[in-house]
Amino acid sequence: MKNIVEIYSYRDMIWSLVRRELRGKYEKSVLGFLWAFLGPLFQILIYSLVFTNIFHNNMPNFYIFLMSGILPWTFFSDSLGQGTGAIIYNAEMVKKIYFPREVLVISEVIAKLINMLLSFAVMAVFLVISGIGFSDQIVLLPIVVLIELILCLGASFFVSAITVYFRDLEYVIQVVLMAWIWATPIMYSLDDVTYPMKRILFLNPLTQVITCYHDILYFHRWTAPREYLIPLIEGIVILMIGYSVFNKIKKRFAEEL
Amino acid sequence: MNTNKIAIEVNHVSKNFRIYKDKSHTFKDWVLFRKRHNYVLNQVLNDVSFTVKKGQALGLIGHNGCGKSTTLKLLNKILYPDSGTIYMHGKISSLIELGAGFHPDMTGRENIYINATIFGLKKHEIDERLDDIIRFSELEEYIDSPVRTYSSGMYMRLAFSIAINVSADILLVDEILAVGDANFQKKCFDKMEEIKKAGTTIVIVSHSMDQIKSICDRVIWLDAGKIRRDGDAYQVCSDYLTAMDDMAQARMRMEESELFKTVIQDPNVQYPIKQITNQAGSSARRSGNMIARFQEISLRDAGGKPCRMFFYNEEANITFSIVSERKNLKGNVIFNIITKDGIWLASFESYLQYGYYLNLDHIWQGTMRLTHLPLAAGEYILEAVIRSPEGEDFDCLTHFIYFHVSAKYSFGSRPVAIENKWSLTKGDQL
Repeated sequence: MKNIVEIYSYRDMIWSLVRRELRGKYEKSVLGFLWAFLGPLFQILIYSLVFTNIFHNNMPNFYIFLMSGILPWTFFSDSLGQGTGAIIYNAEMVKKIYFPREVLVISEVIAKLINMLLSFAVMAVFLVISGIGFSDQIVLLPIVVLIELILCLGASFFVSAITVYFRDLEYVIQVVLMAWIWATPIMYSLDDVTYPMKRILFLNPLTQVITCYHDILYFHRWTAPREYLIPLIEGIVILMIGYSVFNKIKKRFAEEL
Repeated sequence: MNTNKIAIEVNHVSKNFRIYKDKSHTFKDWVLFRKRHNYVLNQVLNDVSFTVKKGQALGLIGHNGCGKSTTLKLLNKILYPDSGTIYMHGKISSLIELGAGFHPDMTGRENIYINATIFGLKKHEIDERLDDIIRFSELEEYIDSPVRTYSSGMYMRLAFSIAINVSADILLVDEILAVGDANFQKKCFDKMEEIKKAGTTIVIVSHSMDQIKSICDRVIWLDAGKIRRDGDAYQVCSDYLTAMDDMAQARMRMEESELFKTVIQDPNVQYPIKQITNQAGSSARRSGNMIARFQEISLRDAGGKPCRMFFYNEEANITFSIVSERKNLKGNVIFNIITKDGIWLASFESYLQYGYYLNLDHIWQGTMRLTHLPLAAGEYILEAVIRSPEGEDFDCLTHFIYFHVSAKYSFGSRPVAIENKWSLTKGDQL
């Protein structure tokens, strides 16, 4: 509780680090901030070409389906992938200045969240162009975003702290993420998966999260509340585990770096 | 204010560092050697306790590895003690590391905001201080350029300006004066004085006794992780310097043969400087033909105790002895005082005192008494020479003994200090 109060008092630092992350990253490139969308956009273009022309996927407006999965996935994979470096790449600050170390992780995740939200704004244009448009389900979007945020925070706390001790985790996570994207219904619809496999996919908390995004943005259908509740509970458990690990070893960060 | 007069409480604090034999944090090691500790513990602080009153300026001194920087990091909550407790009452700011967290591609102004929030400032607090910070850094023209275009001096100036303008209750400072040119350093010092007058508690780690003495009221001398002395700044610094001199001498005895090679240049190998005195600085040099030479020189206080720290206008004594290898040799004994920057301040010659050259037939033992030292606070160098009437150096000791002068009030940055009293009368307005 004391930690939360202290982190809150450093909220201005969180925002300035988010700004540094978002602005600093693209400051020197010609297209600047556009790269935040161009990356996922090209990814979507390639996947939709491959899946419609080679695998003959016949979902209408498949690229919208892809988009509604890949953008949240990018949020998660960036949070986790770059979360490993949240502490070690800020070693200079951690070793020299006191501030709640949580700030580094939180600002990293928030920067990724803002990236996703801005990408959604671009996606809105495609939704209109494709004729899919918006539906009442859009009111559920903030809820699923919140659930994903909790998941991302928990995972980032965990990996950022562990990476201080075991630098290999940074690379392990890259490999895990490569597999993880296929264990999540992003390129394919969960409806096409048959049973024993489906059960395995449901072990992945992101499966339900992405399904919710699909239902809200692409299928325009109401999802059973259970589909929100399960990842929410999973997210809270992951956050509690991740944070307690982080909290336990954060005092030694400055020595270990 | 009065209800809570203690700013810092340190109770029985110990701290160990893990020294890894092989610091590889790889997954393989973790799997294979999980149970094995591949580190040794190095105790840096051993049961240290002290309290600092609100508004006090405390200096931490000691030679390298004594634990003073670790203490500062513990106070700053960057490190945590293995045992014992630390209470800090009030907001902390640190001049420990300057410029950490700067983003090279962002402008000076943007970096002020980022850096100041790292120190825990709110946005509106930064808005209030922005002008002060920019003015103090003297970077008005460049403040909207990316900091990657700054010189390292500009970079440090900006960082220092931010850190020192975070109005904290407790200010922690580590080796401050690596910042900028002499003018900027002076400005930093004045600012420190101002902060101190405003009632901020200050803790400083430094190797420079001048810095410590001019700011601190109290000094703690750490030695091998324990408090060796704790008390009045002047007294503890003075004892510390004396102990360092003694240590240097002890080391000299141990490594005598080594020193012959390093400190002394040919052709005077047989006359190492350290044999004359243990007060000589590490950069001391000896030259001359050594036909006549100093056997002993010592800088002493009014009471005759070897001493390298003086107050403004205090008495100082130089005792010396001279031997010579030839009969009928005449010479002049000269002592010079110069500043660290090489400005020649004063010269004292036996020839001018007596009107004739000393006959070096005898072993001479002498004392030169300086009735008072009208010098501003700072570090000065004593040099000693024996010179023939023809101007040939028999024995010339340059960069010889460094000594410190401390003054209770400021004479500005010039070396010569004469007490001055002003009287001004205000006439009619023009």
